[in-house]
Amino acid sequence: MGTISLEHSDRLYWLGRYTERFFTTLKALGKVYDSMLEEKHGYQDYLECFGLADTYSDSRDFIRSFLFDTENPNSAAFSLERAYDNGIVLREEISTDSLSFLQMAKDTLKRAEQSGNVRMSLLPLEDILYSFWGCINEHIYDDEIRNIIYIGKTIERLDMYIRLKYPFDAVEKEFIRLCKNLNRVPKGTPYRYNTKYLSELVEILGSESDYAKDGIKATEALCSLFETSEVTV
Amino acid sequence: MKRVNFYYCAKLTFDDYVHNHSFALRVIPPESETQRLISCSLNITPYVSTQQTVDAFGNNVTAGYLKGDHRFLDFEIKGAAQVDHAKSRTDYMPCYLYQSQYTKPDDALKSFYGQIKQECTADSVSDRAKYICGALASRIVYEKGHTDTDTTAAQAFALKKGVCQDFSHMLISLLRMDGIAARYIAGLAFCDGETHSWVEFWTGDHWEGIDPANDCPVNDDYIVISQGRDFRDCAIDRGVMFGSYTKQLQLVRSILT
Amino acid sequence: MVQLKQGQFMQAVGNAAEINELLRRYGVKFGIYKNGVFNEQFFPFDPIPRVITAEDFGSIEKGLVQRVNALNEFLYDIYHEKKIVRDGIVPEDFIYISKGYLAECEGITPKNRIYSHISGIDLVQAKDGEWYILEDNLRIPSGASYPLIARELTRIAAPRAFEENNIVDNRGYAELLKETMENANCGGIRAILTPGRYNAAYFEHSYLAELTGSALVQNDELFVEDNILYHRTYSGGKTRIGVLYRRISDEYLDPLTFLPQSLIGIPNLMEAYRSGNVGIVNAPGNGVADDKGIYYFVPKMIKYYLGEEPILKNAPTYLPFYEEDMKYVMDNLEKLVIKDVAEAGGYGVVFGSDLTKERLEEFRKTIIAEPRRFIAQEVIDFLDLPIVEGEETVMRKADLRAFVLSGEKTRVWASGLTRFSRNPDSFVVNSSQGGGFKDTWVLSR
Repeated sequence: MGTISLEHSDRLYWLGRYTERFFTTLKALGKVYDSMLEEKHGYQDYLECFGLADTYSDSRDFIRSFLFDTENPNSAAFSLERAYDNGIVLREEISTDSLSFLQMAKDTLKRAEQSGNVRMSLLPLEDILYSFWGCINEHIYDDEIRNIIYIGKTIERLDMYIRLKYPFDAVEKEFIRLCKNLNRVPKGTPYRYNTKYLSELVEILGSESDYAKDGIKATEALCSLFETSEVTV
Repeated sequence: MKRVNFYYCAKLTFDDYVHNHSFALRVIPPESETQRLISCSLNITPYVSTQQTVDAFGNNVTAGYLKGDHRFLDFEIKGAAQVDHAKSRTDYMPCYLYQSQYTKPDDALKSFYGQIKQECTADSVSDRAKYICGALASRIVYEKGHTDTDTTAAQAFALKKGVCQDFSHMLISLLRMDGIAARYIAGLAFCDGETHSWVEFWTGDHWEGIDPANDCPVNDDYIVISQGRDFRDCAIDRGVMFGSYTKQLQLVRSILT
Repeated sequence: MVQLKQGQFMQAVGNAAEINELLRRYGVKFGIYKNGVFNEQFFPFDPIPRVITAEDFGSIEKGLVQRVNALNEFLYDIYHEKKIVRDGIVPEDFIYISKGYLAECEGITPKNRIYSHISGIDLVQAKDGEWYILEDNLRIPSGASYPLIARELTRIAAPRAFEENNIVDNRGYAELLKETMENANCGGIRAILTPGRYNAAYFEHSYLAELTGSALVQNDELFVEDNILYHRTYSGGKTRIGVLYRRISDEYLDPLTFLPQSLIGIPNLMEAYRSGNVGIVNAPGNGVADDKGIYYFVPKMIKYYLGEEPILKNAPTYLPFYEEDMKYVMDNLEKLVIKDVAEAGGYGVVFGSDLTKERLEEFRKTIIAEPRRFIAQEVIDFLDLPIVEGEETVMRKADLRAFVLSGEKTRVWASGLTRFSRNPDSFVVNSSQGGGFKDTWVLSR
């Protein structure tokens, strides 16, 4: 094909972001679930990471909302719906096969809601998501285009890791991955980085102490990473 | 036969920048049996690359695309033509026999036609057309400010007022009801300060021009710019553009012998 | 009709739920607006295929090629010399009152003189085995993607049925479509124009784009510059489009030629097309040939243009426009089916037998007042097809949409979309009216 519109590149980027947000949310909730086995209110730390108020009657209510409630913008289900919305208009870009994994993920998540053992029934989602990424990798031949979805994916992961206060070495690895992706973006295209914000990121994520101190500032810089730096005439 | 110099210009200004502006102009007079172009030049500013085609109705179409921001589009056409209405045009199309978007009659227009039909005793197409044109002219008053480019024949008839475009639509509607093929002409004429419009009807082997707004036949003082089923096919400029603006249009034109 | 061994059928039947599950997973959906709200529905698939013997298909194939060739000749004629009108075969009124006739297309000759590249011809089989043409769809017929993907999945779910029967593979449709588009290509990439994901047939648009390696585009990604159609790329560049398989109707295609208020069109597309710089699949203006009123004249066209006898029959049709036919229609209204020529998608179809006495009389007056607006047809005694409903098999009305592709040659796709009515009393099989679909198997011997 060799031609991609701004609209589609944007969709690819957000497909990457939402699929990753879904995946990381799912994994993080798994940990919360695990900790709640002993500590009934173990979910409060999680809410705090996102600056959210505790309006949940109990841990069960919290889990239900953050896993399955498509009305809750911080839930796994919400992210998956958005990923699907972006994917559905990219069929010829990413293939029917890739898209089918998102449908499978939706179906699996729905079934898990009815299941007696939620964590057990969520397990296949991991297989499905890894298959999705394998499929994407297989089907997008154009490196430049494939890179867009990976940029979305890595930015989202980094953002989530920082917010969830993941250890520095995990964050550092993802940041190195992001820099590699960013370096492949040709000048004059929409996902070319803004030098100012990239340097900010390099500064904050360059050392463990800066990360501990200014982590949240890094998420702001991530947000602005693709702002056009100077007006091109 | 007459040599006529023509000049027409239009200036489209926008109160805010527009971009990705596609336009199609129908301003270069078509050549035919009744008019030959001696010279003709079209100037468009800002500079834009354009392409010429001829549409289904025989009109010259100038198409262009202005990508960047701009606040105006000016075009100016000047030239000279040899006009000769002793000859006649023969480019017939059957669709001219059928009512079109602007000419579709309502009950009032239909009953007006019914009246005319009873009164008119003329036989030849030409005489019938003249009779119908006369009947229309005596019923409708030429008056500006009541109608616009969206007004249909039926709406103008209800108002009993209109400008040349409305007269043409009403006459075309009546002629088509009478089984006479008729088409809309946009052009320039001596008698008026803007673009003019009149009608051609098909006699059976050629077109004859008639000016319903003035209730007179068309002579060598008329230059055809475009023709079609109704105004829709003849709009001098059509465009699609992006930006937050309200369109304004100014016209100037003159003709010299 | 050859009956497959019941066991093989049942094997496929046994997998009904599985195949529908697979179809869901692959996103085989169609959008539908109900009370103004957009919903995506799965298009219900019935696993019992319609089976067409090699012999039957041979004559259907010849008949369809003949019909589509004549229709293409007709379209060229109508937009050029109009010989068929001059020679008194088709009355002038039927051309120029038709909504599908576009005066703006007069004089345009598409590449290779092909107007209808993808024709969807609806047929039914009567109880006596005879096939009848119900209608021609020469504008943007949809539906090929459904049997295409269903076949892919049925082969996985019911392999034995394919091992033990000689079924012509239908999965070459994408290649056929690609060749057809290439034949109309005026230099550039192939693109499929969709009005967007909220269109009922969006699945099909995106699936066909994937299978044919075409760009799936929307109007805001396109522009015409110097009478050449371009795709605007994300980095600010442009890619020339040589052929546009558009899935939006004529009147919305170009706001500078057709409806000025169209928000889904491409300004000056018609100028690029007229200049021969881009192929449009199917050509604008085709509606004049698939008009329900023109349908009556297709057998006459075949004789007129090709000098051949029509191989496939029309359903017996009457035009109230002709005095003799009007009389017949008036005398037999209660047993005829009346179709409003301006409607599509199963709307505007009235069965005389369904009407009360008062409604019948009212309708009689409407027909007399507007004879050009209606055609009347004998009700064909359809051959019912078995469908699975819960645990049992029931018989339902079904039609067949055959796809004829006109590229270098005119070819019939050895498959087709079989649509059935879920309502036992209904003859209307359109998906927009809640019907389902079946695969269509053509046997190789």
